[in-house]
Amino acid sequence: MDNTTQERPHVIRHAKGKRPEFYETPGVDAAMSMIMVLASELSVVRDRLDSAERVAKANGLDLAAGIEALELDQEALDEREARRQDFMQRLFYLQLKDADEAAQAQTSEGFEATIHEIAQP
Amino acid sequence: MLNTFQQADHPILPKATADEASREEFAKSFKGFIQSTLLPGLSPIYETRVSKAFEKANGRPPENRRDIRSVMIHDLYFQHYAMANRTAQELLWESVNVSIDRQLPDLIEKAKELSATNKGELVIPEGFEPPRYVTALDIHCMPGGYCSEVTEDDVSVGALYDRGVYLYSMGYTGPNNDDMGRSVVNYLKRNMPDFKPKRILDMGCTVGHSTLPYKELFPEAEVWGIDVGGPCIRYAHARAAGMGLDVNFAQMNAEETTFGDEEFDLVVSHILLHETSGKAMPRVFNEAFRVLKPGGLMIHADLPPFDLMDPFTQFILDNETWYNNEPFWGAMRDMDQIGLAEKAGFDRDSVRFDTAPMAVMEFAAAASGYSQESSEHVAERDFTAGEFAPGGGWEVLIAKKGEKQAIAA
Repeated sequence: MDNTTQERPHVIRHAKGKRPEFYETPGVDAAMSMIMVLASELSVVRDRLDSAERVAKANGLDLAAGIEALELDQEALDEREARRQDFMQRLFYLQLKDADEAAQAQTSEGFEATIHEIAQP
Repeated sequence: MLNTFQQADHPILPKATADEASREEFAKSFKGFIQSTLLPGLSPIYETRVSKAFEKANGRPPENRRDIRSVMIHDLYFQHYAMANRTAQELLWESVNVSIDRQLPDLIEKAKELSATNKGELVIPEGFEPPRYVTALDIHCMPGGYCSEVTEDDVSVGALYDRGVYLYSMGYTGPNNDDMGRSVVNYLKRNMPDFKPKRILDMGCTVGHSTLPYKELFPEAEVWGIDVGGPCIRYAHARAAGMGLDVNFAQMNAEETTFGDEEFDLVVSHILLHETSGKAMPRVFNEAFRVLKPGGLMIHADLPPFDLMDPFTQFILDNETWYNNEPFWGAMRDMDQIGLAEKAGFDRDSVRFDTAPMAVMEFAAAASGYSQESSEHVAERDFTAGEFAPGGGWEVLIAKKGEKQAIAA
């Protein structure tokens, strides 16, 4: 069972006091907070990889040097490039969705008209 | 200069998993980055585009910290800076809180075991009511504040403070978070070598970070730490035991303690006053005077007053008021501390501000991550508003109670 779902007393997670907003555009404060949480997790993963290399080395396997010396064969080059392109497609999901909607002439008006139309008895 | 300072382990300190430790380190690194790299950008931003914008709109240059704030908050660079500060603070508490929550039942049991070995008293009175200035907002955005208890014998916010403050101060106050207390003791030993206090009271001690150096460096003294936060006091008592020091801790309000008149040779506080209120602060001075023996010393180590700082510096410092749940941070710096001491009964001639040089260099080479060079770097900086801790030393207000002075009526 996940620690936070255990039925026992838990620490308080939110500080009492209204949080200030720093940006004039609604939602940007939340987005910046999410970006920094993700940056934190990325840093955690990088630390963990570093730990893996150090533990492996302490046990006789120099992963870090092996990684530096690794020569990528064609299969590896293909796999990596495919993974990167796939990642960027997901990262730019909304921009691509926007272009797709434009290509298919989907509009807000059309969306609302469809809801209205389908609701008709 | 890279900051690799690491908190020293002790028996009641929460233990972090590898990932929890990385999250905590990230929060500390982020704070360091903001202060070393983002903060310096505020001056050119202000001096060029922001002050000009104010002048254009008002037909005069900005005159005080309120003027400056009124325009800076609309500047995108400042918005990013302030957001980063706030978010770093939130990441910091959250990273520690998750770790504490995982081990909370064990921490509470461990605290009880350790406390049982401390020969000093642990006093938690029934029905104690903490003052509103501590409970109205969670000060410095620490979830739960100093007083919240989520279960019986709770120590969670004490543990949160211990680890969180280390990250907040980025290790600048030494591996045991005790630089303020240690610096004040050093100051006393160097400037008043004949002063040997037998009873010492530390007001607003939280988890006893600054309290313990008094016992360590005046081992014959009876030392008391008091605070309004019950979980902090419990944690402090266990922490002292874990570090091998018999120190007394009591849940008590520094405005109105239960000690008798003239019981202490030395009454100190460290970063307490700015977390009180306009009404409470004079009462803390009065109480310190009351419990001091004739010839005893009152020393408050806290924030220096605003009056000697330029408006831009004041503005930077006052961000804590607005963005970090520190309601009294700015107002406290406008208080006449010497006047308050005089009203409490101290002779004006016996009251002064001084600087207690940072003791952080003493840890160099003895603690993980504290090299001679990096410790000196912290201790010998120039004062920069917005950085943690003034370089050079801690500002202390010192007052001596007259030998034959009666208690103020």
